[in-house]
Amino acid sequence: MELNAQSGASGSEVNPAHIVPVTNFSADTLWSIIAHMEVSTDFEHLVYREAELDAIWSITGFFLVNEPDSNQREAVSRLHTGAHKAHDLVADRRPAEAAMLLRAFL
Amino acid sequence: MLSRDENELLTQTNSGTSAGEYFRRFWLPALLPSEVPTPDCPPVRVRLLGEDLVAFRDTNGQVGLLEEACAHRRASLFWGRNEECGLRCVYHGWKFDVNGICVDMPNEPQEYRFENKVRTVAYPTREYGGLVWVYMGPPEHQPELPKLEWARVPESHRYISKRLQETNYLQAIEGGIDSSHSNFLHASLEAFRLTDSYVEKVKNSNNLRAKYHLLDKAPWFTVKKTDYGLVIAVRRKAEEDRYYWRLTQFLVPSHTMIPYQAGHSIHGHCWVPRDDQTCWVWTMSWNPDAPLSHEDLETIRDETFVHARVDPVTFKPVRNKDNNYMVDREQQRTSTMTGIHGFASQDQAIQESMSPIVDRTRERLGTSDTAIIAMRRLLLQEMRELAQAHEPFAAQHGDVYWVRSASLLLKRDVEFDKGARELMKAEV
Repeated sequence: MELNAQSGASGSEVNPAHIVPVTNFSADTLWSIIAHMEVSTDFEHLVYREAELDAIWSITGFFLVNEPDSNQREAVSRLHTGAHKAHDLVADRRPAEAAMLLRAFL
Repeated sequence: MLSRDENELLTQTNSGTSAGEYFRRFWLPALLPSEVPTPDCPPVRVRLLGEDLVAFRDTNGQVGLLEEACAHRRASLFWGRNEECGLRCVYHGWKFDVNGICVDMPNEPQEYRFENKVRTVAYPTREYGGLVWVYMGPPEHQPELPKLEWARVPESHRYISKRLQETNYLQAIEGGIDSSHSNFLHASLEAFRLTDSYVEKVKNSNNLRAKYHLLDKAPWFTVKKTDYGLVIAVRRKAEEDRYYWRLTQFLVPSHTMIPYQAGHSIHGHCWVPRDDQTCWVWTMSWNPDAPLSHEDLETIRDETFVHARVDPVTFKPVRNKDNNYMVDREQQRTSTMTGIHGFASQDQAIQESMSPIVDRTRERLGTSDTAIIAMRRLLLQEMRELAQAHEPFAAQHGDVYWVRSASLLLKRDVEFDKGARELMKAEV
């Protein structure tokens, strides 16, 4: 297996053995996760995707608790639920369906 | 996060559950030979996978592990007499050998005795690597003993301790493979705060871990599935053209190893479910090349690292939740993160604080939890496969356990598994 530092998420050189840094739930972050998800096949790849979706779910969950008055609440709430569903699809070894589900949030 | 169903599937270990059946496909550490030191010595209670058992060493030196309740009236065989190759229930005198066969039934008239028809639950045992191991699964699937390095070195090269932890086994394993907690839970305050004096002390030291943790705070995590389980690799930038790698193993069903630096002793754990709410923590320290040094034994006695002092009968640690692990708040204020003495007690305190079985539907994971996610997925996959009659590969292939953890510097263009191969292969 290639080491996860050898390539990032850009363009056609997406490396599924690379863990996408998840520090926010921006469109760029989601796009990168989806791109990696679409080329994920191995046990290790799916573990990395699950970790990324766990992080998205965690961050959106904290947002919903901490920003009760935000006008983004409804959208973030949908993403929070969507990340949970995508997580369970990845756990069920169905990354293509998880990627399709996440695309709805771009 | 896990669903409620997945959490239950992984954490319930009684007979008939998925995890329970999975654990019952492996040889498991059951007790220290010193608990039954001599032939015909007193029996001892052993609880494993939710089953109450009694262990005894018979007249020939063989260790038996029987259901604690007598097959006759369910009285405890712990009170039994260990005599002439069998354990005799003191209630009505029924006697069982190490195979669970009833060999005497003195309370029945001679013409009504049916001892040759009576068997109690008995599990096969082996003495190996400084432990008594037990196999609690179907006889037709009895596996090979795992060829773990610590089990194959001379007795003088290893030290093994046993302690009771009041949590489910799974969160104990998770602590064992979670490399990021050591920078916090086990840190001194000066290491956590990176004081000038600390940086000066470690930057030229031969403690690779401390040194390279200073240089790179954002390591890369990699997991790789193997025949024995997982290798978890954490990579940090080192000088010039090198990376500093820390490689640890998770070996099914529940063994872990701490990254080994050449020239030092190696440490590992095995976490065995006692029941769903408690587990046995087996901790091993070993030197593959020489007897453990005076310094190694001093560290063990001082409880500063992975071993903890315990009550000799119950194996409950001396530092435990009833006395708040003897926390020293002044020490916490001035010198260490926890104020609790020793890595083992620090781990136990924090893991027991999470409740006996963590509600994993409520956790908030990040990408630094990759190893934990991988371990759970691997176990879930193996347990589900077993439910489909696919036996776990590692159980039947003891050779796959012959590996060693590592911490080492490699050139940046060298893949960790290739570069570390020489070091990871156990050489005993």
